[in-house]
Amino acid sequence: MGVNVMERERTAVINPLKMCQPIGAMYVVNGINRAIPLVHGSQGCSTFVRYTFSRHFREPSEIAVTSLHEDAAVFGGRRNLVEGIQNAAIRLNPSLIGIVTTCSCEIIGDDVIGFIKTAKEELKKKIGAEKTEKVKIIPISTPSFVETHLKGYDTAVNALVDHIAEPSEPNEKINIIPGMVNPGDVREIKHILRLMDLEGILLTDISDPFDSPLRPSAAEFKPYYPKGGTTVEEIVDSANSLGTISLTKYAGSGALSLKKKYNMPAELGPIPIGVKNTDQFLRNLKKITGQDITDEILDERGLLIDSMADLASRYLFDKTVAIYGDPEITSGLARFVGELGMIPKLVVTGANSQEFVKDMEKVAKETGAEIDTMVNQDLRAMEVYLKDNPVDLMMGSSDARLMAKDYGIPLVRVGLPIYDRVGYHRHPIVGYNGGIHLIDLITNTVLENYFEDKHWKLQQ
Amino acid sequence: MPFKLFDVSKPIPERKEHTYVKKCGDPEECLPKCNIKTIPGSMTERGCAFAGAKGVITGAIKDVAQVVHSPIGCTTYGYGSKRYPTTTKMPDGSTFPVKDFNIKHIVGTDLQESDVVFGGMKKLRQTVRETNKEFPFVNAIYLYATCTTGLIGDDMDAVAKEMEEEIGKPVIAFNAPGFAGPTQSKGHQVGNNTIFDKIVGTTEPPATTPYDINLIGEYNIDGDLWLLQEYFEEIGINILTTFTGDCCHEELGWMHRAKLSVVRCQRSSTYIADLIEQKYGIPYIKTDFFGVKYTSDNLRAVAKFFGLEDKAEELIAKRIAKISPELEFYKKKLTGKKVFLFSGGPKSYHLAVPLHEELGMETTGVSSMFEHEDGFEKMKKRVKEGALIIDDPNTLELEELVEDYDIDLILGGVKEKYLVHKLGVPSVLIHSYENGPYMGFEGFINLARDMYTALYNPVWNMLEFQETEDSDMDEEVE
Repeated sequence: MGVNVMERERTAVINPLKMCQPIGAMYVVNGINRAIPLVHGSQGCSTFVRYTFSRHFREPSEIAVTSLHEDAAVFGGRRNLVEGIQNAAIRLNPSLIGIVTTCSCEIIGDDVIGFIKTAKEELKKKIGAEKTEKVKIIPISTPSFVETHLKGYDTAVNALVDHIAEPSEPNEKINIIPGMVNPGDVREIKHILRLMDLEGILLTDISDPFDSPLRPSAAEFKPYYPKGGTTVEEIVDSANSLGTISLTKYAGSGALSLKKKYNMPAELGPIPIGVKNTDQFLRNLKKITGQDITDEILDERGLLIDSMADLASRYLFDKTVAIYGDPEITSGLARFVGELGMIPKLVVTGANSQEFVKDMEKVAKETGAEIDTMVNQDLRAMEVYLKDNPVDLMMGSSDARLMAKDYGIPLVRVGLPIYDRVGYHRHPIVGYNGGIHLIDLITNTVLENYFEDKHWKLQQ
Repeated sequence: MPFKLFDVSKPIPERKEHTYVKKCGDPEECLPKCNIKTIPGSMTERGCAFAGAKGVITGAIKDVAQVVHSPIGCTTYGYGSKRYPTTTKMPDGSTFPVKDFNIKHIVGTDLQESDVVFGGMKKLRQTVRETNKEFPFVNAIYLYATCTTGLIGDDMDAVAKEMEEEIGKPVIAFNAPGFAGPTQSKGHQVGNNTIFDKIVGTTEPPATTPYDINLIGEYNIDGDLWLLQEYFEEIGINILTTFTGDCCHEELGWMHRAKLSVVRCQRSSTYIADLIEQKYGIPYIKTDFFGVKYTSDNLRAVAKFFGLEDKAEELIAKRIAKISPELEFYKKKLTGKKVFLFSGGPKSYHLAVPLHEELGMETTGVSSMFEHEDGFEKMKKRVKEGALIIDDPNTLELEELVEDYDIDLILGGVKEKYLVHKLGVPSVLIHSYENGPYMGFEGFINLARDMYTALYNPVWNMLEFQETEDSDMDEEVE
C-alpha cells in the first residue's frame, strides 16, 4: 500500500502529456459570450490551437492573431498589437478581447499593458469613447516556457476577475471555475445547480460555444458567435456572489483573488468525479450557499450507487488500470476506479505537481493499492512502463491510442484531446451522472474485451 | 482593376488587393497580392514556419527522430497531427522496427524560463543523447528551431555538428522559427534547402536503374503516394526517392542519382528540384495528379521521358475503364454545384479544371493561405471569368463569400469545416482529406464520392423545423 513516485529522469520530453499556457487561456476566453482571444504571437500559436479545439470538439474555434514576424522580433510587437486590437475590435465587434501572450512577445519584452492603452486611445478616435469602453480588453500573460496549459487557464480566469469583477449588490449566486473540462461536464454542473435551485456564474462556460446547434436561422454571423458562454456582465457580477468553487485546485487563483478582495469563501477542488468527490462538491455547495441537497440529487446519486452495486463486483473488481492526463482529472478518475473495486495501478500526469502525489497517497490509503505515480512525465514513460507491467485497461486521451493498440490494452477515452472517436466531449464525467456514464463506458469496455469470448457469461 | 473588397474587410481596405476577380484579357501581372504579412488581428488560416518545416516537409519521414527545441507547446502540437502514414519497408529490403514511427513519437526540449535566460543549448545536447538512447534504431535525428530558440539565439547548427560527431549518426538542424516569413511557406523553403545542403549527395543507392525518378513533394497524405507508386511501378518507372512521403533519411541522400525529378507539390518543393538540377543537372517536370486528364497527361509526360509511352497508355486505358462508370455517376450528381476551394495553395490550381470539366461543377472561386505569385498565375489561368482568387482569406471573408455567392460546397481545412457547417453549407476536408487518397484515378473517385456524400447528406434538407408536415412523405408512406 502506498505510492511509488516516478519522476522524469530524462531532460527530453517524449510524446508530451501537457500543452502550453496559451491554449488554456484561449479556452477560457472562448467560454465568454461574444469574446475573442487575440494571440500576440506567431500564427502557429493560434492555428495549432484552433486545430486542436476543432479536432476535439468538431466545432469552429474563432481565434485571432497579431501575426508576429522577424520585424517584430527586432523592433518589438507594438504595431502588431496596437493594430491587431483595433482591427479585432472594429471588425469583430466583440464584448471582450483576451490578449493572450506567447513565448515570442514575452521574450521580446513587449509592454502589453502599455500597448493596450495606446490601442484604446486610437480606437476612441475611430469609433468613439462609448463604443471603445464597451470592449473589455484583458491582458493575459501566458508564455509557454512556464508550466502548462493549466497555468494558462488559471492565469486567464484570474485576469478576468481581477480586471472586470466589480462589487455592487449581493446576487445570491455561486461562482464556479470548471477547469479544462468538456461541454458535457459544464452542463452537468449547471444541472446540479438547477436541482439545488442555485444560480451559478461559470468562470467560464464553454458548454455552448464548444457544442453549439446547427441552426442557421437562429445563429449570429459575420462574425459567427456561438450562442451561450458566460456574459461579461456575469463576470462583472462575480464579485457579488456567495462564494467561489473551483473544480480544480490547479485553477484556484481566481477564487482566491475574489476571496481576498471581496471576502467571499473559496473552495478549491476536488473535481467531482465519482461518489466521494461529488459528495464533497455538494457539501461545499451547501456550505457556501446554505441550500439543501435535494431529493432529486440524492436520487441521481442513488442511480450511480445502483449501477455500482450491480456492476462493480461482478465485472470490474481487481481489474488494473493505467490512467493518464491532467492531474485533477487523473486523480479524480483514480479515486473513482478505486470506488469501483478496480486498482489504479499506474497514474501519469505531465504536470510537475506534488499535490498530485498527495492525492494519490490518499487514494492508495482508501483502496489499499500500490500506485505507481508518474509526475512531470510523458506518454513515452508510460509506454516503457506498460511494456513490462501490463494493465487491464487504460483511461485517457486519444494520444495513447496507438500504444493501446500495439499493446492490445483496451482504452476508455476520457479528457482532451479525443479525435479518433466521437461524442466524448458531449457526455459528462463529473457529477453522479458523469459517474453513471463512466461506469457504463468502463463496464462495456471490460465486457467487450474480457467477456466476449465466453459469450454465455453475457447471457444474463 | 478587378479587385474586390469584402464588406467585412472595409475597415482594412488594404485587403482589397488580395482579392482578384478573374477577368479575361487582363494583363498577366494582374494578380492578388500574396506572400506578404497578414494584417494583425485577423482570424487568418495561416500557420507558422515551424509547421511548414516539420509539419509538412520532414514529418513524413519514417526513420528519423524529430526533436523540437521549444517550450512544451510546439512539441505537443507537432505530435502526430498530420495524416502521413509510413510503412516499415526500407530500401535495402530490411525492416524498420516501428510502423508509423513518425506519427507515434516526437521529442522536445521542454524549455523553461531559466533556459530562456541562460540558453537552451545544453538541454538540446542532452536531449539528442537521450533521443539516441531511447530510439537507438533511428537513422538520423532532426532538430527544429522555434520562436523561443530563434529569439534567444541558440546555435542549433553548432549543436547538430557536435552531436553528430558524438553519436555517430546524422544530426540536422532546421532553422525555421515560427515567426520566420509571412506563412508556413518559409518553413517549406528552409526544409528544402536544409535537406539539399546537408543530406543530398551524402549516400549512394543500393541499386539504380535507367528508369529512376525522384518523386518530389509527395508526402503520402492518407495514402496518396501508395496509389502513385502503383502507377509508376506498372509503367516500369522506379521511384528511387520520395521527398518525403514514407521515405527514409538515407533515401534523401541519393536524390542526385535519379534520372528525372517529378515535382508533385509545386509550392512546397520546387526549391529542391531546382537545386538538384543546378548542381547535378537532373531535369525536373512539374506535375498534376488530381483528376483523370491531369493524371493521364502527367503519367504520359513522365513515361515519355523514359520511352515508356506504350506502358503508360496501357495503364491509363485500364484505370480509366475501371473508374468510368463511377465517374459518370458522380458527374451527374455534381454537375452545376458551386464549389469554393479554400486550399493551402496548390490544390486551388490542381482542382479548378478537373472539378469543372470532369465533374461538371462550377468553381466560384479559389483561395490560398501561402501561395506565391507563380501559384496565383496558375490559378488565374485555370479558373473561369468572374471567379474569385483570394490570398489569405480570413474567417469573416469566408462567411461573407459563402453567403453572397450562394456556394454549395466548400473544400477547406478543419478550421473552416465546422464554421461552414454552421452556415448550413457542406464541406470536404481538402488539406488532409476525408476518406482519401484523392490523387490519381481512383483517388479522384474518392474525392468525387466525398463531395457527393457531403452534398447529398440528407441533413441539409432538415436544417430548420417545418411547421407543416411534408406532403411528399405522406404519399410515400401510402
